[in-house]
Amino acid sequence: MRTMVAVLVAGAAVLSCGVVLGAHHSFSSEYDGTKTFKVNGVVSKVEWTNPHVRFYVDVAEQDGKVTTWNMEIASPSALARNGWSSRTLKVGDKITVEGYSGKVVATRGNAKSVTLADGRSLFAGAADDPDAAPPDARQ
Amino acid sequence: MRKLLDRGVASLVVVACVATVVPLLAQGRGGAGGQGGQGGETGRGVLGPVGALGQEVVRRAPASNEPAPRLPDGTIDLNGLWVGGGPVNSIAQGLKKGETLPLLPAAKALMDQRATRETDDPHLWCMPMGVPRSTPYPFRFVQNYTHKKPTHMFIVHEGNIHSFRQIFMDGRKHPAELDPTWFGHSIGSFDKDTLVIDSVGFNDKFWFDRQGTPHTEQLHTIERWTRVNIGTLTNEVTIDDPGAFSRPFTVTFNARLQAPGDEIMEYICQENNQYGVAGGHQNPFAQ
Repeated sequence: MRTMVAVLVAGAAVLSCGVVLGAHHSFSSEYDGTKTFKVNGVVSKVEWTNPHVRFYVDVAEQDGKVTTWNMEIASPSALARNGWSSRTLKVGDKITVEGYSGKVVATRGNAKSVTLADGRSLFAGAADDPDAAPPDARQ
Repeated sequence: MRKLLDRGVASLVVVACVATVVPLLAQGRGGAGGQGGQGGETGRGVLGPVGALGQEVVRRAPASNEPAPRLPDGTIDLNGLWVGGGPVNSIAQGLKKGETLPLLPAAKALMDQRATRETDDPHLWCMPMGVPRSTPYPFRFVQNYTHKKPTHMFIVHEGNIHSFRQIFMDGRKHPAELDPTWFGHSIGSFDKDTLVIDSVGFNDKFWFDRQGTPHTEQLHTIERWTRVNIGTLTNEVTIDDPGAFSRPFTVTFNARLQAPGDEIMEYICQENNQYGVAGGHQNPFAQ
């Protein structure tokens, strides 16, 4: 348990030191940087695959209907270099996910942060605003 | 044991925060994407950690200025895991200050057309990055040799799709005729401490960068890889393509040595590439 806590702390620390986990592919062509979401649900599947790790979250809507969200985060290698494994996020985990919605498919999300039911931050997947970054500094 | 594990995790965090050498991803034109930026005193095109959106997240610590190591025979030792060394967002970022790409009109028109179809970038669909494009993932040089001399140099890339380049080091010349390929035909040699790679025989499918900077099958590249110190590898690339540019030009990009102990990992891009679904884009290679 202490180790698990340490892993969680590591995740928070990685986040806090400014290193965010990234995505393999173009953000702005896929996701809307102004369309944020925050959903609560249960992890139903984790795909520890390239080019991106994906996890699926069953989210109960207000009318009781359950919608499965498809959440995209970084690649397995990038996540692993930050201490994560395919076992970090487990099926059945109750989580809160914040991120950006797909431009066309709203329930496909680029996950920015994942928080466990007890409030511990699990990881972040994206930086804040896709197009707010300064232009590449050169020379 | 638990303490050891806890310390290990803590060490990991320290490595992630201090060294900031994690090759965080992002290909594609994620807005103001950023493979690069000022790399300390050594200048242009250094790959920095990037966020999901392709922008550089934090600046790295300056590269070590310790001298580059050498093999027993005196040859410069390129061993290590590197990230960077080529364009991702824009090849023009590797030009000297004030220079612009000498695009021919047809190439300019193609680039303008690609700007309206940025999701057609082959890289987004798990196709190879070609030369000299880089990825946010590490690579390493692997030399093969007999008891007498080097025969091949391989550049083993983790990304984009677990690729490798083969460079013939045995003194052979380029064949007179080549079928065009993503990585072309490469011959290499050492010029003092610089590994020189001369390549022809490319196809025209890959984009130099997210901007869609084009080239033709007439592309001829000369890469000059120099380990200027233990932590920095400079790649000075001359691009000669009379089909796309009015004159040859040179771009320079730096690669950074990764943290000790880091190794190439598996990256099978085709495994579960769902790019395009969230944004409603079709795979141009599936048409």
